[in-house]
Parts: sequence; structure tokens; C-alpha cells
Amino acid sequence: MRGYVTKRLLIAVVTLVGMSMVIFVLMRLAPGNIVDILFESAGYVDQADKKQLERELGVDRPLVVQYARWMGEVARGDLGKSYRYDMPAWKIIKPRLPVTLELAFLALLFSILLGVPFGVLSAARQDRPLDYVLRVLSLAGLSMPAFWLGMIIILVFVRSLGWMPSITYVSPLVDLKANLWQFAVPALAVGYRSSALIMRITRSAMLEVLREDYIRTAWAKGQRGTLVVWRHALKNASLPVITVIGIEFAFLIGGLVVTETVFNLPGVARYLVDAIQLRDYPVVQNLTMFIAVVVVLANLAVDLLYAWADPRIKYEKA
Amino acid sequence: MAQVRAFDVVTAPQILPAERPRGSTLGRFIRKKPLGAAGGFLVLVLVATALLAGVLATHDPVRTSGTVLVAPGADHWLGTDNLGRDLYSRIVHGSRISLLVGLASTLMGTVVGGLIGLLSGYAGGKTDLLSQRVMDIMQALPILVLALVLAAALGPSLTNAIVAISIPIVPRAARIIRASVLAIRELTYVESARALGARHVRVALRHILPNTMGPFIVLATAQLGGSILVEAALSFLGLGIPEPYPSWGRMLSIAAAEYAEKAPWLVIWPGLAISLAVFGTNLLGDALRDTLDPRLRGS
Amino acid sequence: MRAIALALLLAASLIVGLTLPAPAQAPKYGGVLTVHPLTAPPSLSPHEESTIATVQQVSACYSNLIYFDPPKRQESLETVIPELAEKWSWQDNYRNLVFLLRRDVKWHDGKPFTSRDVKYTFDMVRGAADADAKLRINPRKLWYENVEAIEAPDPHTVVFRLKRPQPSLLLLLASGYSPIYPAHVPLADLKTTCVGTGPYKLKEYRPGEFVEYVKNPDYFVKGRPYLDGVKWIHIKDRSTQIAALQAGQLEVGGSGWNKANAETAKKGKPELIVTENDSNVNDNVLVNFKRAPLNNARVRRAINLALDRKAYLVGPRLGAATFGGAMQPRPTGVWGLPPAEVATLPGMGDPVKQKAEARTLLAAAGFGAGNPMKLTVSTRALSIYVDTASWMVDQLRQVGIDAVLEQIETGVWHPKMTRLDFQVALNLTGTAVDDPDAMLFENFRCGSQRNFSGYCSEEIDRLMVEQSQTLDRAKRLKLVNEIDRRLQADGARLILGWGKQYAVHWPRVKAYPQHENSIFNVSRFQDTWLDK
Repeated sequence: MRGYVTKRLLIAVVTLVGMSMVIFVLMRLAPGNIVDILFESAGYVDQADKKQLERELGVDRPLVVQYARWMGEVARGDLGKSYRYDMPAWKIIKPRLPVTLELAFLALLFSILLGVPFGVLSAARQDRPLDYVLRVLSLAGLSMPAFWLGMIIILVFVRSLGWMPSITYVSPLVDLKANLWQFAVPALAVGYRSSALIMRITRSAMLEVLREDYIRTAWAKGQRGTLVVWRHALKNASLPVITVIGIEFAFLIGGLVVTETVFNLPGVARYLVDAIQLRDYPVVQNLTMFIAVVVVLANLAVDLLYAWADPRIKYEKA
Repeated sequence: MAQVRAFDVVTAPQILPAERPRGSTLGRFIRKKPLGAAGGFLVLVLVATALLAGVLATHDPVRTSGTVLVAPGADHWLGTDNLGRDLYSRIVHGSRISLLVGLASTLMGTVVGGLIGLLSGYAGGKTDLLSQRVMDIMQALPILVLALVLAAALGPSLTNAIVAISIPIVPRAARIIRASVLAIRELTYVESARALGARHVRVALRHILPNTMGPFIVLATAQLGGSILVEAALSFLGLGIPEPYPSWGRMLSIAAAEYAEKAPWLVIWPGLAISLAVFGTNLLGDALRDTLDPRLRGS
Repeated sequence: MRAIALALLLAASLIVGLTLPAPAQAPKYGGVLTVHPLTAPPSLSPHEESTIATVQQVSACYSNLIYFDPPKRQESLETVIPELAEKWSWQDNYRNLVFLLRRDVKWHDGKPFTSRDVKYTFDMVRGAADADAKLRINPRKLWYENVEAIEAPDPHTVVFRLKRPQPSLLLLLASGYSPIYPAHVPLADLKTTCVGTGPYKLKEYRPGEFVEYVKNPDYFVKGRPYLDGVKWIHIKDRSTQIAALQAGQLEVGGSGWNKANAETAKKGKPELIVTENDSNVNDNVLVNFKRAPLNNARVRRAINLALDRKAYLVGPRLGAATFGGAMQPRPTGVWGLPPAEVATLPGMGDPVKQKAEARTLLAAAGFGAGNPMKLTVSTRALSIYVDTASWMVDQLRQVGIDAVLEQIETGVWHPKMTRLDFQVALNLTGTAVDDPDAMLFENFRCGSQRNFSGYCSEEIDRLMVEQSQTLDRAKRLKLVNEIDRRLQADGARLILGWGKQYAVHWPRVKAYPQHENSIFNVSRFQDTWLDK
């Protein structure tokens, strides 16, 4: 077990370093001088001020030095400064974190609550009409653009049902009902798509397990029906499902970006898009790294959970 | 990293027997996999629309006019947008863009990724280890975020959109091809071919490549749908295909922002087009995977 | 007898009561005005920005020396009212402007307001060599190029010494872009916070989310403001803006709306009050004089003729626009060209004839079916720009020009324009004040930062300076019209049309100001109240 954990930690660190290089290179591909870009308003740039900003941003140093400097900041957890808004990026991100976290959490919850039972059902009724219907529904969910689903929902809910949640964020600690009213629908929009993924994996994992000999024996012995399916199979199928939740995260974040935009939620994912559109490159760089860190940590957590749950790994000799 | 990937084919393909069973393959396919056949039909409709866009459209998709925000009717089958452009014609022409971007990026991504995977699997050793790590890294970032950042850096244009969307595909393609290569490399006849003095490249092309076709096709079909979705999302956020090309994703962004209340058809139809196109490729991809790789049935 | 007297008294009072005008409703105190801005502000510092987004969202916090009277819909010299200045007077034939300042004003942090703050602010804006602060970005430096020196002889007197007479200086100072900054607060701080003397104090600023104000209990106008607070809530999506207004989560909407949006809002909630006004924002086409083939006057005229203004009205503007030259058209604009003359401008006539004429001109310049002119139309990547630009591309294609659209991100737009890195560009221009000094100097003067066409004519420059010093109104109007005429003939900036602005609000919002020739000078809300 220890060997597995160490290996995974090492891989996580290497992945993060690699990602940082990818992000660094990507951001430098942009044409144009970043200082010109930051001085958009009047195009009126004093040469002395420009030099000072260049020094501040470190763009006058060689690339390797810039990278090292940035890595230092990342290690310190320094998210840098937003040049568009002229304040520390953390100050802007901090009030937005609870929004994204809540949305992600609720979406994940929805996706599991929808995906797992339907996956099991689909596996239990394999190749029967119900299976086909569920598979089509889940595939349909994966085929729809996340933002379009959000738009259609808004069209239906706002137009027909008059659902209009608060336009500014209401913390659950202040007013839980208003908060859930605001988050339920967007979480559903994101969760529906993720649930499709979970449903498919649950189904395939269940089918694998159901083919196992000991299940067939139990069936042959007459222990048919729900008890067998749920108790034995689910327990063993849970492992792949857990690992999928790790992949889910990356999938989810893409959905969060567009959903926060469509539903006007002031979250971190939407801020990434805003920063890109405002050409606030230092923030884009740091925020993308932040997301990368979160994704890697989530995957690591899932890997460790997997290690703890899977007896094959738990008792593996070092 | 975790051991199961949603769309990965991690196991080696079955080597198909030399003899093919009797009977029309297509007919059998339709009977055995009705969903896949339906998907195939949708994809065919997409391709046909893209090829025949000039014939199928009723108006010039770029021509503005004074008949703005008109509801669907006899003149304009799906209505007009806020510049008086015919929505039906724009959707028909938009299929060209979606297909072009989807195919080009999928092709680029799978070919580049495939080559990397081929090299990695065949060479083994340090090259393999290094490229595997790099692929892991590229795969760990969410597709949309990666494409967003790239599109932001490069700017909105057709070429840039294709490049941006193809990059997340590379690691996935590499992984699959590499797995196939690893499995096949060990097989006796490859070793015998090598023993007989065949050069590496020849071995690779003649023996390994054909047998990776199966998973390759499955991947390409699956990724085509994904590419269309990512392009739609990028265009929706304003970072994808620029004017004047009619892009389904961008039609949704303008419509949503301004006229959803007044002209819901502007929201419904482009989104439906995207969904049906992707749905078709997904259904087809699923069925192909089941057919070409029976070991993964039920996934 | 007594009964008759009583009856007469009753009748008399009845008659009097019926003929007297109904007493005006007394304003009520309380309530928070929730409103959405055009877009999130790039910063909270008006002197460093050129967008309405900043001005509208911080006007509540600052004060000017003088301001435009909110209820008077057409802004002019006659509607200027005192704010921080109690009295002012021109001396020495409009060469010196003396302001006598109020004595009872405190900044939001408690420090007293003095003439030093005024000198500090305008020395900074005009880029004086000995200014205490320097603006990194200074879009309106040219407004004050005529100021020789600013003196603060005592804490409550300020004198502007000018190089030549300039009656319009008063209007420039009354604009929402000319608030007074505190000399004791570092300039960099004012980008993310607001320390002003206005009716509202900044409560919280969340970038990209909202700007929130509370009532300033020490406001120098006693008994004001009526509202407890103002909250500008950023909503990116137009249909969400409409829905929020209809749901009552916003009191006021309309910033950046077009006619269709206003109609949609009203349709859902007929009680809403919609006001449609002319505005001083126009769609124009920047033509890069320095790039071939646009340096050819025939080509410029051809482009102008190809753009059918009637189609522009029906298409991108959805029926709501007015037409004119470089100055806002009459009657809402003060300095516009005579309507009869406007009708003869290129693009205003019969589209078939004008497009044919355009083709002829292009042929004379060497372009035709075999050799189409290639043109890139650049514009900002915002839907209000892109829609009009798409229409423009189509119009140009109809006269055989091979036009394509290039969308440029907001962040890169101004530098690109300033560097003249484009061929033609679809642009929106809104001037803070309906005054030739502001409009002409900023946009057409040789070497002005915002002269995006690279247009330069010594003759026009001379006329510009001449009209600025002309005291006689009628004479000045003639000069301004002459300049306008020539600018249109030269094709310096092709004016497509002047849009309209909309305010949509609930009936309980009272005294919500809207001006006909500006959108920039109405967001102080010092007299607005809620009837709740």
C-alpha cells in the first residue's frame, strides 16, 4: 500500500510541474505585448510607465527566469495580481469560491443520485427495453451542450413557471431556502450531464461483476432478485465508480464554466472566462494553475480512496 | 492516475479472424445494433447537409435584411435572427463548419496522438515513460479549460479553433494506440517478421497499424462528437469561430444574450442541431465499439 | 341666511380646490435603488477610463464643481447648476473662470474639501509639469489643453487661467467625466475604491459582481439624498437583465438596451415605464486615411454611399435611430446640421442609385468584378458592435467589395485603433458632453489620441480653435456646421446614425433622470426617490 501511495504522490507532483510548463507556454503564445494589452482604455501609454510595468511583470527577463519566478509564487500560494481590476487576485477569487464549490458539490450529488441507481437498473435489465431507454437518455445528456441545456431550462422555468432566483449570491448561512432555490436548477443542469457518465460506468462495472462466477452461483442457488444484485454486485462495482468521480471532476469543471455564465452565478469558473475576455493574462495563468492543482488533488484523493478500498492494493507487497 | 477512464479502451483489441462470416455486414449491423444504425443515419444526414448546404439552404446565410426576429413561417422555415438572416440557412451552412472543425481537429488529434502512441509503444523504455507522463499531464486538464486558454492565447479564428480543440484529443489517442501496440508487439508473427529481418518501420506499418484500426475508428467517432461540443462551447464564450462563418455555438451565444424571450426559436434550433449531430456520433461510436471489440460489450 | 353663507363658502372652496393644481407628491425617504450597468467597470476611476460603465457606476459617489440639472432633459449652458462651486463667473472676456466654492463640504473620510483638491485634480488631468499626481492613462487631456494655469488663492476660491477664450470649458467641467478627486488619497487607491463628496458612500465593490453604495449622512445638500442606497448589479446576459427587472429584483433597467429589449420587458410587465430618448452615442466607421486604398477620396465616398442608412435603421437599429453629421442631430442635439442638409449626406438617399454610384467610383479607382477591393472590417467582439458590423459587411459585398469581418477583443481594441492597425473599423462613439469642444478636439484634431482615423487637416484645426473662442452662439453654430460639413465630405469618420437610449423602470421610481443629449451625466441620483 505504501508503495502505491508514494508512487501516486510522486506522479501527482510531476503532473503538476508538467502542467505548469504547459500553461506557461500556452500563455506566452499570445501575440502582442502584454503591457499594451493591459493599457487598453486610451491606448495612451507613457514609455516610462510601460517600462516600470514590464519590470513589475518581469517580462523583460528571460523566459526561464520568468518561469522560476512564477513557480516560486505558486509554491507560496500567491495567486498574483489582477491587472484589470488592480487588486490581488485572491481578493476577487475568495468570495467566488463558495459559489463554485457549492455548485460543484450539488452537481456531483445530483449526478451520483441519478447515475448510480439508473446504472444499476440498466445493468439488471440488460438489453431489455428499460436498458435501451436509460442508455438513450444518458447518451442524450452527454450529447447536449451544457450551456444549451441551461438555456432551455431557463426558457422553460423563467418563461413558463416564473422561476427567478436572486441575481446576487445568497449565502446558505444567511438564507438556506433562497440559496437552494438559486442553486438547484443550475446544479441539475450540470449534474444531468455528469450523471450520464456515472450511469454508463456503473452499468459496465455492474455487468462485469454480474458475470462473475460467484454471482452466477448465487443465482443458480435461487438467491435471485434485488438482494443479490444490490449487496454483492454493488459493493464490488463501487471501485470503478469511485475512480470515475475523479475523472468527473475534470469533466465537471468544463460544465461549471458555461453553467455559471448562463445562470449568472458569480463563481470562480466564470471569472476565468471573464479574465480571458478582459485579457487579464496574469490572472488567467494563475487561475488555470489553480484549477489544475484542484483537479490533480481531486484525482489523488480518489486514487488514495481507491487504494484504501481495493484489497488487492491494500495488501500488496511493497 | 486512476485505473479506469471513461472513454478509454485500455485493453488490446481482438485480432479478427481471417474468415469473414457470410451475409451483408451492413444488414447484420442494422439488425443487431439498431441504436448504432440510427446514429449512423444521423451522421449521414449531417454529412449530407454539409456537402449539399448550397442546395438545401433557402437563403444566403450571411445576407442581412430588414425582416428581423420573424417567427418560423412559410418564407423563413425556422424564422430569422436579429439581423434578418434566415435561421434555417444558417443552421444548414453551420453544419459545414461543425463538421469541418470536428473532423479536422479529430483527425489532427488522432493522427498526432496516434503517431506518438505508436512511437511510444514500439520504442519502449525511457521514451515510453516520458511520453506517457506528458500524455498524462495533457489529459489531466479539463478539455474546455485547455481549449479556452489556447484559444485565448491564439485568438479567435478558424485555424486556431481547430488547433485548440485537437490538442486535448492527442493524449487520448496516444494512450489507445500505445495499448494496442504493446499488445501486438509481443505476438509471435511480429517477432518472426523481425527475425526475418524486416525493418522496424515496415513492421510497424504492415503489422501493427492495421490492427489498431479498430480502436482508432472507435476513438475517432467518439471524439468527433466531443470536438463538436467543445467548438460550440468555445464559440458560445466568444473564443471560437468568428464571423462571418455561421457557427451553431455562436448563434446560441448571441441569441441567449439578447433575444431568448422574444425569439425562442433562435435558442431551440441551433442547440438541437448540435445535440442531434453529437448524439448521432455517440450512438454510432458506441455501436462500433461493441462490434469491433466485443470484449467491451456492455460498457 | 347662515345656511346660504355656508353653502356659498362650500361652493367657493370647492371651486378653488378644483382649479388649484394638485400638490406635487412629497418625496419619501428610504429604499435602495437596484440597477444594472452597461457592463462591469474596468476600474472605479473616471479620469482614467473612457467608458460609460465607469462613469455611471461612480457618479453617485463623487461631486463636480458644477453639474447638469437632472430634471432638464436637454443639457446646455443654461442647465448648469452649482455643486461644489456656489458661484462662478467669467472674467476678462472668457479668459479666466473663477469659482467660489462651498465651505461646508467634507470628504467621505471626514477631511474637509478645499480648493487644493480642485487644483490637484485638474493639474493632474491636464498633465501639468508640476502636478502632484500623474495619470497613467489620460484620455481627456486634450479637453484642458487651453488651460494655462490653475490657481487656488484661498481655500475656497479656484481660478482657471486660459490661453484663449473658451466658453465651453464650463460644460466640460460639468460632465460626469470631470469629478473632483481628493488630494489626500493616493491615486492608485481610487481605481478600486471611491472617496468622494457625493450623496452616496461606497459600501462594497466586488469586481464583476456589484458596486454598492449607502447614503452619505453628511452630504452637503441638506435633506438629500432620499434613497438609503444604490446598488449597481452586473448582469452579463440581456435576457436575465430583463427577467430580473420584471421580477422586481431590479428597480431600473435599460442600460445598453435596444428597442426590442424594452418592448420585451414591457410586454411581460405592462406596469413598467419605458422612456425612449435620443442619445449622444453614434455608430460610425473609422476609415484609416493612411492605408491604401482608403487614402483615395473616391474609395471613401464609395464606402459611404454603399452603406444604406435606411437599411441600417430597420436592421441593426430596429427602427430606433436618428441621422446627422459629427454633432448630435437636432432638435435634441444643440449643434447638429440642419435636417434638410442631413438628408443629402451620402448613404441617406435612394440605395439603388447610391450603390450604383459607389460601383462607378470604385471602378474609377481601379476596382471591379475582375479586381474586387479586399477590405477587412474590424470591430470589437461585443454583440452591439458585431451585429452592426455584420450588416456593414453585407452592404459592402453588395457593391462588389470583398469584405470580411474581424473581431477584436476589448483588451486589444484601443491600442490597435491608436496604432492605426486596421483598414476600416466599426466603432461606437459617445461623447460626454454635447459640445463641439469635446467632440471635435477629441476625435478630429491632428494628433489627438482618440483621432482613430489619422485624419489631419490644418484648416479644420484652425476652424476648431476659432469656434472654441467664438462667443456669439449663432456665429459659433455656423462655424461648427461648416466644420461638420467638411468632415462629412472628407469622409473622416462615416457617421451611420445616432442610436436611442432606453430607461425602463417601475412606477415607484420617481425623478429618475434621463437626458436627451447625454448618457454620461445623469447617474448621481441625488434627487431620485422610491415611492414604496
